[in-house]
Amino acid sequence: MTKGPEGQIKKIMNGFAKHKYICSEQLATAVYLASKLEKPILVEGPPGVGKTELANTASLFYKKSLLRLQCYEGLDESKALYEWRYGKQLLYTQILKEQMQEVLEGAKGLRNSLNRLLKFEDIFFSEEFLESRPLLQALTSEKGSVLLIDEVDKSDEEFEALLLEILSEFQISIPELGVRKAKVKPLVILTSNNSREIGDALKRRCLHLYIPFPDVKLERKILEARVPEINASLRNQLVNFVQGIRTLDLKKLPAISETIDWAKTLILLNAKELDPKLAKDTLNVLLKYQQDIEIVTKEIPGFISSAAG
Amino acid sequence: MDRVLTDFVKVLRNANVEVSPAETMDAISVIDAIGYSNKSLLKKSLAVALPKTLEEKQQFSKCFDAFFSEDFNKESKEKDQPFIAISLISDLAKHLKEDSQAELMLAIEKAADKSEIREIKYFTQRSVFTRRILEEMGVGDLENELMQIGAMNSNSLPSETEQQMRNYLNNLREIVSDYVQEQFLLHGDVSGEKLREQVFRSMNMAQIDRSYLHEVHSLVRKMAKKLVNMYSRRKKNYRKGKLNVRKTIQKNWSNQGILFNLRWSYKKVDKPKIIVLCDVSGSVGAYSRFMLMFLFSLTEVISKIRAFVFSSHLGEVTEHFKKGHLEPAIEDALSKYGGGSTDYAQAFSDLTSICMEDIDKKTTVVILGDARNNFGPEKAHLLKGVYERAKQVFWLNPEGKYRWDTGDSVMKTYSAYCTKVFQCGNINQLERVISTLLRTAT
Repeated sequence: MTKGPEGQIKKIMNGFAKHKYICSEQLATAVYLASKLEKPILVEGPPGVGKTELANTASLFYKKSLLRLQCYEGLDESKALYEWRYGKQLLYTQILKEQMQEVLEGAKGLRNSLNRLLKFEDIFFSEEFLESRPLLQALTSEKGSVLLIDEVDKSDEEFEALLLEILSEFQISIPELGVRKAKVKPLVILTSNNSREIGDALKRRCLHLYIPFPDVKLERKILEARVPEINASLRNQLVNFVQGIRTLDLKKLPAISETIDWAKTLILLNAKELDPKLAKDTLNVLLKYQQDIEIVTKEIPGFISSAAG
Repeated sequence: MDRVLTDFVKVLRNANVEVSPAETMDAISVIDAIGYSNKSLLKKSLAVALPKTLEEKQQFSKCFDAFFSEDFNKESKEKDQPFIAISLISDLAKHLKEDSQAELMLAIEKAADKSEIREIKYFTQRSVFTRRILEEMGVGDLENELMQIGAMNSNSLPSETEQQMRNYLNNLREIVSDYVQEQFLLHGDVSGEKLREQVFRSMNMAQIDRSYLHEVHSLVRKMAKKLVNMYSRRKKNYRKGKLNVRKTIQKNWSNQGILFNLRWSYKKVDKPKIIVLCDVSGSVGAYSRFMLMFLFSLTEVISKIRAFVFSSHLGEVTEHFKKGHLEPAIEDALSKYGGGSTDYAQAFSDLTSICMEDIDKKTTVVILGDARNNFGPEKAHLLKGVYERAKQVFWLNPEGKYRWDTGDSVMKTYSAYCTKVFQCGNINQLERVISTLLRTAT
């Protein structure tokens, strides 16, 4: 096996390919650096190019568990970090009431009782009553993990600030318990669809990877890996067709995931090759807006002929 | 080694890629991990660590190719001229005669380093730096010597050696000049962008030549985007508001009705709702192009906006601006509505009839114009009606303050019904205005 960074990067590419994720060298380099430098990666790119899938594959490749945190507006630390199990705390206080009385037996006066209580540990705010959420889980995991923070642009400003401590120091401060440091630093992957600009503070703590739409060669390879039952000529036609569509001015351009869906659809329909009627009938798999479909429908014959040639 | 990287970072910053010191340190650890040996790997690795947006990545790619190519493609062809006995003694002469091209390049680079070529900023400095490098290499001595030789045998033709030396010297001058040009392209403000930006920002908009429209537009857009980003981030200030009693009780049912988890009724802050009226009549002819550009940039970055232009009658251009491209959209608006004589009264009455119901207490109305009414009726009560309905009314006047209320300008009358009136003649002022606008409109 080759040593050195080049070899490692090759290894990542091949390893990812085994899990049916065909990636560019740029992407593999980013993953390699992220694991080597122990820095999070911020992945951006149009929807459907495999940002989330990258995390899934990385978890398979490194054989670490995947922890996923889906971001949305209003996400706060009780959903992302940890929460006290209030219900359990209440229940236990009820059950332990009698025990308390035993402890307090014979104590005279308030001060005396309080002193006795203080001798006992702060049991109700201990690990047993802590419900850990993905971020804390990722830090406490013994074997290390892959932490996916999905669509971080959907979350609020405050949440982004919360991430800063975790991403740069790999630690979380819990007021009642103190600072929790990561035993094994997780591989963190953040994805963003750019629905809002991510703050500079977060950006500078991450490596930044942009996944563009794939070129013809890469898309063919991806399709081959994902939909192996499709024959070569149809695959080429399909890819050329989709690449053609991407040159148009559409509201939403079809991404890889749509190409794959389309290929699967064509397999279901037992298509041997792409003809205008078939393309027109199945276009709604590829395009998600009526106005886009109308624009493309006009262009179908041209695309088909150039895709075949 | 790190010097190379910091130089590269400087080149990047020069090309508008923002690189913080922390990122530079990241880059250093990246290089520690992968080394300098594999150029394409180096590029891919640094591309992950340094640029953080798509545009920056493109810039990065360009800079990387330019910066790291210079070390690799230096031709090192040996000189083919035979050795010629020569009486010249200066070091440089010896170098010129004996060294290969590569060694000469090395010497030039050393000299360039000493004369701090990296500080080159403007193209006018090129000759200065060329001269400085040549001096550093000892050209002065050589020239003196050549002069002396020339003076000694003033009668006869210059000797072969002397002729050759002069050739070498000229050759050297050329090489150095090329080298400086190359360095300027890397380190200098090549497109003059920064300088121009500075000038544009403080220049009166009416005086900026039309051919610079694109540069100014990108400047305005950059600014508008920055501002909108800034304020849209501030908008999401949720966790305030009233206690939602119903939800709180519901949520805490499982806790035996003890209220542990409080629920709030969130107050969502609306996005700014803005109506912009832009005067494109003859009196503001010089400004209107830039006002429209500003309007165009606003429609690009703010979603809830309605844009109108008028000379006398009001015409809505929102859709047109949102879909179209800058120049055709502006030309179209100008040819359709521009050039006529101003009639604010008509414009306001149109505004009242077209979109009065759209104006509510969340709306900000912005009027761009010089308030020159051609001595027509003012009908300020119409503006008053708008002012009373809207959250606020801003008036941006491109003319200098000292010209307001002179001639047919009725700024004073109208300003009574404006929340605030700004002078807005250059881009710096515009930036300040937008900042106020967005801060108060949200």
